[in-house]
Amino acid sequence: MERIERFVRTWIASGREEEVRETVATISAGDATLLDVVKALGDYLTAEEDNLRTKGNATRTYLNLSWYPLIAKGVEFLSLLIEKCPPEKITRSAVRVLTTFMCSKLEDTETIIPALSGIKSLTAQSGFTSGDTLEVVKAIFAHVRMRVLVQTQRFVVFTIIDTLMAQHRQALKSMGEEFLTGYINLAEGEKDPRNLLLAFAIARVILIEFDISHHVEELFNITFCYFPITFRPPPDDPYGITTDDLKRTLRGCLDATPLFGTLAIPLFVEKLTAGSPRDTLQTLDVCLPVYGSLVVRENAKKLWNTLKLEIFQPTDIETETMALKTVQILVQTIYAAYDDAAPSDLEMEGLAKDVCDECVRILKEPEKSQAKPAMRVLCAFMSTTASVAQFTLAQALPYLVKLFRNPDEIQNRGAVLQLLTDLIKAARDATTTETASESDADKIPLTPYKDEVLAVLTVGLQIPSGCRAALEGLLAMVNTPKLLTDEELGFIVHKVNEILTGGDVEDEDVSDAILELLTGISSISPRHVSQTTLPLLFTSLPDNAPARDAESDRVKYWRTLSFLKRLCIQSDLFETLVVRLSTKIELLCIPPIEASAGEYDVEPTSAYAHSILRTLADALAKKESLAHTDLVKYLDRLVPRLFNLHIHAALTTDADSLIGSHPRLVAVSAEILTVVMQTAPAQKQEAFLSGIFPLFFDGKLEKGTDGHWKIPQDAKFYPFGGDAPSSQKNLVPLFGAAIIALHKEVPLPVGNESEFLNKLVRWCLLDAENPVQFEAVLHAAASLLNKGAEAYQEFLAQSVDELWNTFLTASSASPDVRKRMVTVWTWITKALLTRGHPLAQSFTDRLFTLFGDHIVSWDAARAIGQIVCQDKILTKKHHAVIKFLFAQKFANTMLPRLIDGAQSPADPSLQNAYLVALASLIKSIPKTVYAHQMSSLMPLLLRGLDLPDHEIRVNVIQTLLAVAEGPSPESAFIAEHASSLVSTMLRNCMVKEMPSARVRIAALQYLATLPRLVRYDVLHPQKAVVLRELAKALDDPKKAVRREAVEARTNWYKFTG
Amino acid sequence: MESFNPNPTIFITNKPSRATQFARPHSLWLEEQDSDLEEDYEDESNAIEAIDQDEIFELIRSISDPEHRSMTLEQLAVVSAPQITFDSKAPERVTVEFTPTVPHCGMSTFIGLSIRVRLLRSLPSRYKIHIRVKPGSHQSEHALNKQLNDKERVAAALENPALLDVLEQCLSTAGRQKSD
Repeated sequence: MERIERFVRTWIASGREEEVRETVATISAGDATLLDVVKALGDYLTAEEDNLRTKGNATRTYLNLSWYPLIAKGVEFLSLLIEKCPPEKITRSAVRVLTTFMCSKLEDTETIIPALSGIKSLTAQSGFTSGDTLEVVKAIFAHVRMRVLVQTQRFVVFTIIDTLMAQHRQALKSMGEEFLTGYINLAEGEKDPRNLLLAFAIARVILIEFDISHHVEELFNITFCYFPITFRPPPDDPYGITTDDLKRTLRGCLDATPLFGTLAIPLFVEKLTAGSPRDTLQTLDVCLPVYGSLVVRENAKKLWNTLKLEIFQPTDIETETMALKTVQILVQTIYAAYDDAAPSDLEMEGLAKDVCDECVRILKEPEKSQAKPAMRVLCAFMSTTASVAQFTLAQALPYLVKLFRNPDEIQNRGAVLQLLTDLIKAARDATTTETASESDADKIPLTPYKDEVLAVLTVGLQIPSGCRAALEGLLAMVNTPKLLTDEELGFIVHKVNEILTGGDVEDEDVSDAILELLTGISSISPRHVSQTTLPLLFTSLPDNAPARDAESDRVKYWRTLSFLKRLCIQSDLFETLVVRLSTKIELLCIPPIEASAGEYDVEPTSAYAHSILRTLADALAKKESLAHTDLVKYLDRLVPRLFNLHIHAALTTDADSLIGSHPRLVAVSAEILTVVMQTAPAQKQEAFLSGIFPLFFDGKLEKGTDGHWKIPQDAKFYPFGGDAPSSQKNLVPLFGAAIIALHKEVPLPVGNESEFLNKLVRWCLLDAENPVQFEAVLHAAASLLNKGAEAYQEFLAQSVDELWNTFLTASSASPDVRKRMVTVWTWITKALLTRGHPLAQSFTDRLFTLFGDHIVSWDAARAIGQIVCQDKILTKKHHAVIKFLFAQKFANTMLPRLIDGAQSPADPSLQNAYLVALASLIKSIPKTVYAHQMSSLMPLLLRGLDLPDHEIRVNVIQTLLAVAEGPSPESAFIAEHASSLVSTMLRNCMVKEMPSARVRIAALQYLATLPRLVRYDVLHPQKAVVLRELAKALDDPKKAVRREAVEARTNWYKFTG
Repeated sequence: MESFNPNPTIFITNKPSRATQFARPHSLWLEEQDSDLEEDYEDESNAIEAIDQDEIFELIRSISDPEHRSMTLEQLAVVSAPQITFDSKAPERVTVEFTPTVPHCGMSTFIGLSIRVRLLRSLPSRYKIHIRVKPGSHQSEHALNKQLNDKERVAAALENPALLDVLEQCLSTAGRQKSD
């Protein structure tokens, strides 16, 4: 007890938290009770009454006043204790007594603040009863004047009401009128967002659960006065209340009761026109269904007349879309009851009818701009209620059909078709969401109009201005579940075939639309397309290649092939495509008998065959990207035929005159092989390897070469021989293509892997005749090393050193071989780095030793970037072993080293090599890795722009462009270098000074972005110069450059303070 | 603002025809997608690709109509490629003709001005531009044509900040279609 007294005394004097904590600890330990504290506080708590009793004496009154702060302190201490004390130590009777006590302290302005916080803690106690609730609420209503309290204190009041609302709602309801009047009085005029969040939550409960019939208007006033919310949180708001929080909670009040309807709708209409349409529209969306059909119907006309402004004279697309949605909800609210009462043959009246009439009237001029929004409204009606949709369709659809058939409107048929198509799409979307599950075709709203619409659309196909719309409309019908029969699908395909044959479809949009329609149909039933359209397309491909000068014929077959490759993705169609096209190539490859060697021009035919092969490759790639599973079978069906074709050509003596030996065709075949191979399982791949290894290394021709051509028995096939003819060496890409797609567990059918790898690499260095052969085999070697590093210990331990010494550092090595060797080294390192092999680092280090070399210095420098750059060989699709974040780790070690090297005052050629390496590395790694270093990189990159190499300059500018991308580019360091950037870029964009168009384009693109990155006042002095200089770039000989110059100059014109 | 034509006719626009989508000019071979050769090709030569009708049309087609900002001059058929002609004797003299949507269109001078400013900013200075309305398409055709090509009146118009502001807004859409 003495301790408690001591605590109380100290606290009164000091106000420190320790005393509160100590007291709570004492009570918790059971060494004292709350009652003891009250006793100890005795004087402080009761002093007031004692002193009040003795008023009349001026001196005394003066002294009394001096007591007041002490009383307040006493109450405060008690409040703190109630808050901190464990609940089980505050008994029911203590709660009772304390509540009464605290309520009595509300009367006094000096004690009201601590008393409120005491009450706040008490209301949370389990011992707090409904009786206490009444006492507290009455006391608050009687004594608390919100206007004189500060925000935090008002917040306490709202918290008390909120807690009571949660725990003693019945008690509050029993108060009836008294509570409502009291609370409305309390909440009126609140402005602070923190308090409002609570007030709105309380108001929602009142509106929903209390009998508010006599107070609707007052409640309306204390909620709707906040609409629309205009609050913007301050930039560093510690409370984290967003505009959306407020909007959401307020909306919870506005849509809480149907009683608000008559008052609210006029207000919403007013706010719609007063500049906050979006918030109002969203609020209407939630409120209208609550307010109910009766009230909404009364105000429907008013609402529609306001909403329609947002649709017919839209400020922006988003608001327009929202307004359309609100119209839908408006209609749904009014007509939902109709549908329940009498589903279909109800005569439509009211808003839906008026609006439909209004819109259909506008459609009388289908080509005018207002027709589009009118149609959007009608389309929106399709997704409201079944009867409204039915009514809308009945009004609009026959009308459009009539319009289409009207001879006076013939020039507007395109526009009519577009409107019709929009309506069909809307009807389809309504169908798929609502009636898709029902099996009854009669339920589909379009069914009654199916025949006439089909007729109009198929006629529309023949009208140039309406063809595209008609195709889209047909597709929408095809996509409507259960609308069309199989026979009707066949009819559509037939009609489409007519336009395909009727003339060239040159408009790209039309041919895209045809494709979409046919693809849509073949996904339901491929039969029609494969039986009628495909034969048509195949026969339209010429048997022989058009002559060199027949460009229009060539464009025609390109168009057909491009159409085929996009159409034949579905499995059945693709199979037909493969059969027909591979046969076509084989027929093309037969040289004409009568022509003598001199007359026969082989190139157009090669180009034709190449286009056909390309079509197959593209279709395969597309199927692969869609993860189709039917690719593997073409390893047995298509690949052997291609091998047969190429090997036959390569073994024939006059190989140059044969199409099959053309390197471009081989390249496409290799691509096809890789795609098919990568989808094959390991076992299948292994079997395939057992065929091609003997073929390529032992010349065993019987394997893998069955097909159209007889291979001469005595022919010798040895593409990897050093003295093999070019026509045979040209086939090594086929071997490489199979290797790069292998799974890592597939074993090679060779005795010693290291030896084999060494053999491939040496072939690259010594025997490859051109870059294509070189790269194909090098990529294969890198892929093998990446996937099976364990098997190549010997190669990594010995052979690489030998290679390095023989081909790179030996004085006998020619510059060409040395450069090749750098590339080989790059790929070996890349293969290791990608899988995170420990040797990668030391292999990279060796490249640095070449930086001082006067021949391969820059090659070695570029290699630093090439080691990590993304490539098409070591990819996940090709089953490469890829270590997580390997590029980031590599970049993090390399960047500081390169920056140091480029800055070191050593000899300038070494510096430049570091600069080249830096430019090459930065180009290859993601922006995030180097973004934080930009301030030290910037001067180096600017120096890079002066290096005499176009490739490097493009890299640097593209890096700068990449840095400038994104919503908030870090522009501080750009501003710092702005003027030198401007002058460097201007130098690089003039054709007189910079012959490379790519550099000019990049420089202009950067100039175009600068105004976005840098504040106007920084670049202001340069504006006149830039505009004048860019005027010269407008006269660039290249169209592509001029385009960028226009863009850049426009941006600089717009650039103002 | 007075409305001269509140409900104008919209015309269906075509995608710019891409004759070269399959191959490079004069090549027998189908263009390979993402081939590495392409980059070399760009640098190959700086042979002059002359500015043609389509390129000039490309510059002005997407200018917004001053009365209907959401629509372009092309959509309202105010401008079209065939209405851009080069003088056969002096290829640097270009005539751009446009068609007001209604004969009493009071926005015609403004449309002409926006075309002129766009071309002034985007064509090399050696080009001389003559702008006129399509014969018979406007009630005060003669006065309009005179005003459109009066240098001093154009310069005076550009000094008017309010006018310039609207002009910049109409021109802000001019570069948009290029990206697709």
